[in-house]
Amino acid sequence: MNPTARLAKVASRPEHVGLGVMLALAVGAVALGAGWVRGPGSAVVVAVMLASVVGIIGVAFLGGLETRRALAPYGLLKPGILWLSLFFLAPLWSMMVMSLSSKQGRFDFFPSFTWEWDNYRVALTDFRPQFMRSFGYAAVATVLTILIGFPLAYVIAFRGGKYRNILLGLVVVPFFTSYLIRTLAWGNILADEGPVVSIIDNLGLRGVLESLNIMQNGKLLNTPAAVIGGLTYNFLPFMVLPIYVSLEKIDPRLVDAAMDLYSSASSAFRKIVVPLALPGIFAGSLLVFIPAAGDFVNAQFLGNPQTTMIGNSIQDQFLRQLNYPVASAMSFVLMFVITIAVLVYTKFMGTEDLA
Amino acid sequence: MAAKLNRRQFLIRSGIAGAGALSLPALLAACGGGDGGSGGGGDGSLFFENWPEYIDDETVALFAEASGIDFKYTDAYNDNNEYFAKVQPALAKGNKIEADIIAPTFWMAARFVQLGWAQKLPVDKIPNMANLRDDLKGQPWDKDQQYNLPWQTGIAGIAYNMKATGREVKSVEDLFDPAFKGKIGMLTEMRDTMGLVLMGLGKNISEIATFDDAAAAFDKVEKAKNDGQIRAFTGNDYLDDLSAGNFAACVAWSGDVLQLAKDNPDVKFIIPEEGGTSWFDTMIWVKGSENGDAVAKWMDYVYDPVNAARITASVQYMSPVKGVQDELVKLGGEAAALAEDPLLFPDDATVARLQSWGALAEEEEAKFDEAFAAITGA
Amino acid sequence: MTAFSRRQRIGQRVINTFAGLGLAYIFLPIFVIIAFSFNAPKGKFNIKWQGFTLDNWANPFAQEELTSALWVSLRIALISTLCATVLGSLIALSLSRYKFKGTGGVNLFLVLPLTSPEIVLGSSLATLFINRGVNFGYVTVIIAHIMFQISFVAVTVRARIRGFDWTLEQAAMDLGATPSRAFWKITFPLILPGILAAALLSFALSIDDFIITFFNAGSLVTFPLQIFGASRVAIPPQINVLATMLLIVSVSLMVAGTVLGNRRQRKLAGN
Repeated sequence: MNPTARLAKVASRPEHVGLGVMLALAVGAVALGAGWVRGPGSAVVVAVMLASVVGIIGVAFLGGLETRRALAPYGLLKPGILWLSLFFLAPLWSMMVMSLSSKQGRFDFFPSFTWEWDNYRVALTDFRPQFMRSFGYAAVATVLTILIGFPLAYVIAFRGGKYRNILLGLVVVPFFTSYLIRTLAWGNILADEGPVVSIIDNLGLRGVLESLNIMQNGKLLNTPAAVIGGLTYNFLPFMVLPIYVSLEKIDPRLVDAAMDLYSSASSAFRKIVVPLALPGIFAGSLLVFIPAAGDFVNAQFLGNPQTTMIGNSIQDQFLRQLNYPVASAMSFVLMFVITIAVLVYTKFMGTEDLA
Repeated sequence: MAAKLNRRQFLIRSGIAGAGALSLPALLAACGGGDGGSGGGGDGSLFFENWPEYIDDETVALFAEASGIDFKYTDAYNDNNEYFAKVQPALAKGNKIEADIIAPTFWMAARFVQLGWAQKLPVDKIPNMANLRDDLKGQPWDKDQQYNLPWQTGIAGIAYNMKATGREVKSVEDLFDPAFKGKIGMLTEMRDTMGLVLMGLGKNISEIATFDDAAAAFDKVEKAKNDGQIRAFTGNDYLDDLSAGNFAACVAWSGDVLQLAKDNPDVKFIIPEEGGTSWFDTMIWVKGSENGDAVAKWMDYVYDPVNAARITASVQYMSPVKGVQDELVKLGGEAAALAEDPLLFPDDATVARLQSWGALAEEEEAKFDEAFAAITGA
Repeated sequence: MTAFSRRQRIGQRVINTFAGLGLAYIFLPIFVIIAFSFNAPKGKFNIKWQGFTLDNWANPFAQEELTSALWVSLRIALISTLCATVLGSLIALSLSRYKFKGTGGVNLFLVLPLTSPEIVLGSSLATLFINRGVNFGYVTVIIAHIMFQISFVAVTVRARIRGFDWTLEQAAMDLGATPSRAFWKITFPLILPGILAAALLSFALSIDDFIITFFNAGSLVTFPLQIFGASRVAIPPQINVLATMLLIVSVSLMVAGTVLGNRRQRKLAGN
């Protein structure tokens, strides 16, 4: 087939043009951002990107109605994709490069790329306790948010009636105060001479709580429990809202029908409501587990030197030890583990339901 | 269904979207550029970024009025390492930062000087520099006193809450007393914390040059941390925990605790039997700043004993300026009482109990920092 | 409806109690924050209740640095929300209105920033800026905020306009309107509430963002950064006051939005 005919064939498949332009923009943005090209090279890349934008407009102009219609979404997507590629993908590439670099001296601020796999070894061995701790705390916090959030979402969805939106608002509103201030407030509440500890002492529950390792030496603050509590609290709405969304979609007549069919309400609950709420629980779990695993604020304000999480370590390596290579390696390991979880989820559930 | 989309509409929509995306950065740059900062331009402005609670209420205004300089003073300098990490990307590339003067702790100032990020002070425009205390002159990293001018000096010792401990605290070993398990605080400032522990082990910290010399102390602190002895490693935020009784005792800085003890008589500060560490924060003129005259005027102003006394009366640290004691007496009242305070004006016996760190080589310092970071759990 | 047996009623009560406790749990720190804004602390930290005072509310802007940090945060939030709402809505529009190849890929691409831990987003962006020698400050913070806000806006707006009846536009055009007119006069006003809601929420996200800003601000101090720095030295009660004020403003906006929305719905239904 001669070139003109081939070109015509391509032009007749506007999605290909659209996709091609998207790809060109995305790759170009990453190339510019991550520094694959410098100087004259960047000029070339920018030229290619501009050409592709002009190209898509040209094709739309020259093509028929159907072409324009097919190309419209790509046109709308252009700026967003450009931005995300430049400021999300390119940084990830930069970080990957940095994670394989090494410093030539303590105050070498421009590490050079040396395929330094040792950074990963350091990240995985020296910081293993922090990694395990982070995933552990995040997992416990996730379970706790399910236990607390599900009844809340259930009541709002099924009993809320016309007060639904107000109740949802009530759940969300507290989180319009500053994240840091909320966490500091928990420091207040859990302080040694604070109300909670006093109540526990008065009720004589200290022994019980200490054996469960929730309190340590009569302290509630600066303990792992306090950190987990902070994580649970701060990410609760991320569990309540998705569960609510999936519960709301359940037709209450289904539940009624189930109660007619099954002998007890709890069976109906177990067999109908819970499975239908699963997508919400899944989404919520991801939305809680992921940020919780990478958090460092709760550990900083509510924890002690033995409860540090991987977020604290990354922050320390990055901002105090100035050890960018190892910090990047640690970030990558964290990202890697979490991405696997996300991919498993999307395979299982589809990305549509994440919204 | 076929939505009619004529050429014009498509063009317009695409164009808007595209133009929007491309003009945004320009918009942002315009917005961002407008607030670049006041330092580094013109003769009449100055920006001093200092530690928190390190000056009184009046000096800033008085200086601005007297000199006519547009003086910006902030207390955003919270931690040496954090600040260093914040500014090194710019300074390493040869760009300037907003601040003209900063007051890092002596070892960080040494690093700035060694990296070439401090400018030579316009010494001939600072006549009051002669008032500098003799013991602070001629640091090994600045023998000719060309780069730094101390801001305040102090002691790191032990602060304790009598109500929480139930007894007096006298020695570094008390920090490791199992009776205080989970109620001990230590500072994130490595040299102060490890300095005390090393002195507790009978070492002289000015003679410590390699990590191996100090390894025993690091092991001891690590063990204490693992046993749950240490509740937290803090910056300046130990004060409230101390006051509330969350800490029974902690490594602390003299001036802070003195300010606190006024309101809370249960809180006391001591220099341990084995000794305390002596440190100082010092002003340096950051590379890239062009406000040399303003810098000189400020330094000269605060080295006038009258002004120095006013600052000391508020922050209650040891002034690096000679003659402050007499000025405090002249001020009368509470300030005069400070003139008698052995922690502000230590007698020779007390001074003999203080030790300060020598300079550490780059690789050794790295080992110290790494080991300490591992202990503080970061 | 089926009549409820006694067991079922008890079960209902139990769940209601749990939910009530949950709500109380959510509000507990908020009450503490509001309460302590009336505290007159003797020391530098606002931890122990010492005495009731209205002084803090009389002088909410007494802490200069806190107030200027708040301004900085507000300006950043304004600019970034504006840009992110536009960019995000465009993406949402394209995803919901059109079926095209690559929807799955774009979906995934959108969701990734939302599901990455903030620390990874923040530190990677900082690495990029360091590598390219960009000075940290306003620009870097705004760029960082827009980046995570785009995803948020896109996903939220798309959820809101799902199920939107696009045939309305077709109807308008059959009646003689140009596509542009149909969009702006029919579609846009109907999806505007969704866009505004997303904008409002992402505005709140931007003001409160800490971790990503922490890595990319350089010497710039935003409200959360100021609190973080201050928390190690002194926590003046003004922080509580300002936080409570922010809360009141956000709640009022939300209530206003809901009331206006209900009124509009009633108007539409009435017609």
